[in-house]
Amino acid sequence: MLDKPRESWRAAAVSRRRFLQSTAWTAGAVATGVGSWVIPAPWANAAAPPIKVGIATDLTGAIGYAGNADANVARMLVKEINAAGGVIGRPLELYIEDTASNESVAVPNVQKLIQRDHVDVVLGGITSSMRNAIKDTIVKRGKTLYIYPQLYEGKECESYIYCTGPTPAQQCDEFIPWLIKNGGKRFAFPSANYIWPHVLNAYARKVVEASGGEVVFEEYYPLDQIDYSATVSKIMNEKIDVVFNTVIPPGVGPFFKQLYEAGFGKRGGRLSCVYYDENTLNINEPYEIEGLASCLDYFRAVDKTDPVSARIQAEYEKEFPGKILLAAGSAATGMYRGIKLWAAAVTEAKSVKREAVAPALDHAKISEAPGGPAEMVPGHRHCKMRMYIAVAKGGNYEIEWKSEGLLDPKEC
Amino acid sequence: METALNALFEILSFGAIIVLVVLGLGIIASMMGIFNFAHGEFVLLGAYTTYLVYSWGLPVWLGMLAAPVVLALIGLVLERLAIRRFYAVPIVAMLGTYALGIIIRETVRMLIGGLYISIPAPLVASLVIGGVQLPEWRIAILVITALVMTGSYLLLTRTSFGLRMRAALENPALARASGISTDRIYAISFAFGSALAGLAGALVVPIFSLFADLGLRFLIQGFLAVMLGGVGTFVGPVAGAGIIGVLSAALPWAISPVLADVLVFVIAIVIVKFRPGGLISRGRV
Repeated sequence: MLDKPRESWRAAAVSRRRFLQSTAWTAGAVATGVGSWVIPAPWANAAAPPIKVGIATDLTGAIGYAGNADANVARMLVKEINAAGGVIGRPLELYIEDTASNESVAVPNVQKLIQRDHVDVVLGGITSSMRNAIKDTIVKRGKTLYIYPQLYEGKECESYIYCTGPTPAQQCDEFIPWLIKNGGKRFAFPSANYIWPHVLNAYARKVVEASGGEVVFEEYYPLDQIDYSATVSKIMNEKIDVVFNTVIPPGVGPFFKQLYEAGFGKRGGRLSCVYYDENTLNINEPYEIEGLASCLDYFRAVDKTDPVSARIQAEYEKEFPGKILLAAGSAATGMYRGIKLWAAAVTEAKSVKREAVAPALDHAKISEAPGGPAEMVPGHRHCKMRMYIAVAKGGNYEIEWKSEGLLDPKEC
Repeated sequence: METALNALFEILSFGAIIVLVVLGLGIIASMMGIFNFAHGEFVLLGAYTTYLVYSWGLPVWLGMLAAPVVLALIGLVLERLAIRRFYAVPIVAMLGTYALGIIIRETVRMLIGGLYISIPAPLVASLVIGGVQLPEWRIAILVITALVMTGSYLLLTRTSFGLRMRAALENPALARASGISTDRIYAISFAFGSALAGLAGALVVPIFSLFADLGLRFLIQGFLAVMLGGVGTFVGPVAGAGIIGVLSAALPWAISPVLADVLVFVIAIVIVKFRPGGLISRGRV
């Protein structure tokens, strides 16, 4: 009996401690939200309040590997810019929100960036569906500048949205004639059934036909299809020379494997895919995709001849060693250009107000980025950049062609 | 002729893969009345085990042998810790195993950095028969599926353990009264089903590569197969799996793949409409 009050006291204490613990957790979660990260400015004062940079990217879910690379690039650049004195004398503060590879999770999280954190710019979104889901929240209702960093199908011409990834013109105009020369004239367009392949294929078809080639078939598959035997058989029977692939993971691995097994490469067929970078190289065994050609704004193989790219890549790897790569297909290079171009625009405008930054961003230029310099095309809100054609050999890329100057995005 | 032979092989080979995946799911659903929504993730764990063993520098086939053993152990532990509490409440079992599946999937995603990782097949050559390339590994999967299916069937019909298993399914109270430890039987059945999932994952990973959502696609097809085949027998889900696998692989040869994907479901729903209990809803095995 004597022990009872003490026990109840102890029970109360434990529950009080638990209560405090869980309250602290809840308070933390309420304050920042699940999937939110803030990297505070290293210095700030009343005269120089921090500039808030919002990153909305897929840190978790199916394309988490790409989103984490984008977030890493932002962290690296913000650190670098702050170490050099910030922008217009003010430090940058980074607000990262997880869009979780899921549009319905993404929109409320992006709202947090706009309504709670009042960021001065938002960069991010990887898939086109994500861009379409979050852009109104940022640009229309949020009245904030939005920079979309991923290679995409083009046609995003709304005001205050700036695209820093390659467009179909940049990825096809030189690449398709190269494929005809280094593969043949008979093309197949096997594709995942969503917006990017549909719009990209429409553009690519025009280039194929204008270059004297022929699209023998264009076919769309459910996004999660993993058996491609019927398609492979058609490719072999129709004597296709070039497979211009827009099937995405998880289907792309088994598709390329089945093509290899059917002897497509052996009989001289050329595999091509314009989102293939260093991340996607590991989906198949090297011999299965030997000779695969891709056209992007950066490959690691560029480092051999471009000291700037080599330096950026080395800095990234030093800061973020491991599996999350700085690669072009995951929008990491577009993110790099986006932040640098925006910083250049803010420096010119001497303001972070949207109305002041937008005209400056419209003609912003940077001399250093992975793959080479970049500049916005005035009035078109898209980015000129250097492009490369690379071919997979023994599990690595070798650069086969590099554009003379910066290629025009030909958008808007 | 070549195309027809090629189509036949590809269709059979994909059918075999689906049968292999559904086997474990069907055994757990039929023998224990539990719909294991984490089954796809058990397949994923089988694939991950193979990758792990391979990444240590050991041969792939060793990983494939280890996968069912590891999954049997994981299944056993999970059954003891969580699944056994769900037998009386099938709806809770679905939600519980679904949650378990998410935990496994996201953990694996974290472990592999969300990437897609290629794992080589133990056999990489192709046989050429009548001008058609038949990859040896797909042939191996066909053979292994046939062996596992026969083995499981014999285990259930010809051994005393199989008899006790069926007794525990048909009338648990009577089985217990006859001195059969249904508790143990359930644990072993769950471990066995898990081991089959592990084996399936290990065998298919060289074809589909390792990624966190590997099990998801199979889960949907698996449940469709169980629904179509009927719960309560061993043969039902296997027959259902055969039909779903063959349909999924065969339809894209004839019609647009996007349409084919939908049509598989439509056909399955129509069949279930006329046979609500599934194709084989009554029977001894």
